[in-house]
Amino acid sequence: MSGETQQPSESFLERHRERHAGTYQSLRRGWRRFKSHKLGVIGLLLLVAIVATAVFAPFLAPHPLNWTAPTGGEEATSLSELAEQSISHPAPPKFGDPYFAPLGTNHQGNDVLTRIIYGSRTALYIGLAAGLLSSLVGVPLGLVSGFYGDTWVDEAIQRVVDIMYGLPFLPLVIVLVAVRGVTTTNIILAIAVKSWLNNAIVIRGQTLTLKERSYIEAAQVAGASDNRIIFRHILPNVLPLAFVYLAQDSAFAIITQASLAFLGLSDFTNVSWGVMLQWIQVTGHVYDAPWWMIPPGLMITLLAASFYFVGYSLEDVTNPNSD
Amino acid sequence: MATRISAQYLIKRLLVSVVVIWAMMTLLFLLLKAMPGDMASLLLNPSLEASDIEALREQFGLNQPLHVQYIKWVSSYAVLDFGYSMRNAEPVVDIIARRLPRTLVLFGTAYLINLTVGVLLGIHFGWKRGGMQDKSGFTLGLTLYSVPFFWLAWILLLIFSYEGFGVAWFPAAHMTPAFESVFDAPGLVLGVLFHLFIPAASLAMVGWAGNMLVMRTSMQEVLGEEYIDMARAKGLAPTTVKYKHAARNALIPVATQAIVSIAFILDGSVIVESVFSWPGIGKMLVDSILNRNFPVAFASFFMLGALIVTLRFLTDIAYTYLDPRIKFGESR
Repeated sequence: MSGETQQPSESFLERHRERHAGTYQSLRRGWRRFKSHKLGVIGLLLLVAIVATAVFAPFLAPHPLNWTAPTGGEEATSLSELAEQSISHPAPPKFGDPYFAPLGTNHQGNDVLTRIIYGSRTALYIGLAAGLLSSLVGVPLGLVSGFYGDTWVDEAIQRVVDIMYGLPFLPLVIVLVAVRGVTTTNIILAIAVKSWLNNAIVIRGQTLTLKERSYIEAAQVAGASDNRIIFRHILPNVLPLAFVYLAQDSAFAIITQASLAFLGLSDFTNVSWGVMLQWIQVTGHVYDAPWWMIPPGLMITLLAASFYFVGYSLEDVTNPNSD
Repeated sequence: MATRISAQYLIKRLLVSVVVIWAMMTLLFLLLKAMPGDMASLLLNPSLEASDIEALREQFGLNQPLHVQYIKWVSSYAVLDFGYSMRNAEPVVDIIARRLPRTLVLFGTAYLINLTVGVLLGIHFGWKRGGMQDKSGFTLGLTLYSVPFFWLAWILLLIFSYEGFGVAWFPAAHMTPAFESVFDAPGLVLGVLFHLFIPAASLAMVGWAGNMLVMRTSMQEVLGEEYIDMARAKGLAPTTVKYKHAARNALIPVATQAIVSIAFILDGSVIVESVFSWPGIGKMLVDSILNRNFPVAFASFFMLGALIVTLRFLTDIAYTYLDPRIKFGESR
């Protein structure tokens, strides 16, 4: 003991390792169990791939974002004519053009693949922001509500949850976004207004059972404050479950943003998959430009599905009586 | 039946429903007041005199104190008096009365399909747990669950109603065939069914996974119980064990999911109605929001909310009836 206090800087890592040995062990065990779920691993790989796409978008995209295909290249006879055309006539959406747009171009001659790659940023931002926001609201409220179960605090939170649960999700988001202004931030906030409820309900249930455990009693006897018990002793045990719901909320937020964009409630200057789909509808190319229509929807599905895959596998890992 | 559901429980649920509806009215009032401008300013145009604007504000009761406005708002919403549409001065309640049944047709069909298919497949996958069918079905269900409704609808339209790409079997939009009045009643019903096919299919294809997942898990749990082994040991046919012994008991958690999926399918039907120009409340909500026709938008939001509250109330009662073990007030 005395040796440690004399050389705090050297033994810091060691002390840290020693102190959190249990955490590391349980993490390792959890990872082993997670690995046995093929679907979860697939989801994780997909997620990592999409995150990498978002991070390295400028290097992966074949063109810069504002690139447009030179118009009507086949018909133009001279360079000046070509330049004139590209100003006066936007290129029609086209598949497999000679300017290396592997997925074709949209109504403005933008490369669809470039838009898809950059769109992953918006999708991840909206998904994670809405998911994290609802966790940040739902988890603490669930913890408090569960810990003070059957008191007026719990009763008050539960009544709020009950009432909010009765409100229809999408119509509420539509009305909120329409009234408060169509911006990405407002969309995220509007989604979070409803999606923290599931977090709060599930975390509350878990907390209710956890607080009957003897280690909580031991902590109480040792004189730990309520705050300490909630955040040091209970929170680490509900975190896996919170991650499950974070994943599900993120997936749901991504789908909701796409739906809002489809309904015409989205910031159209944004580059996002939902907005791409909205442009298809606005310009009337739903049925004649499958190269433009399929990829954004597919990406939304893949991203949301990867969140769901990871979430459901996590749920299995955290659920002790599965197997 | 009557013995199991106590009056006290009924009253409690009813009270919660009423409070939710009141909360919706209050929320809408707050939103209305938080909006820049007011009802009168939505109608502004250059030909209005100052006195006309004053008259408009008088007509909407905007000169009264806020609490009076609030009480007026709640009391008129409580009797379904939603004011007039800003487009054609038609009472909003008339528009809603016309459109609500159409939404219910779409919603009801999709809901029943998704419940039936989800539960049946959940039973099947749970029964074959760990097998190839179970795994692929589970993956397919989760994947379909993450498809945006409108995109799936477009794909289905591309395949089933667009001749250039697939086959033109089903109409692409609207609820009734053109020249509606020419048809007699059976013909009209057939036409509506025809129009209903793709919208309901795109709703149910996404939604069934929710019920399937719950049913599958619950089925797996039930199959571990001893009475299932007992039933098998007695030499009962596997089908009897599957449906009569296992599935019946496994159905209970699905009742909770059924409540959740009401909201899910209703959300979806707002989107799907917009894809197919289905003349229901969801389409009206979206249209009126985009037109800044707020009396109609708020009323359709309110009606969708009230619909969910009503359906939840009914399913809650059905739930307590289904599960004799449940203690009142612990339905969730």
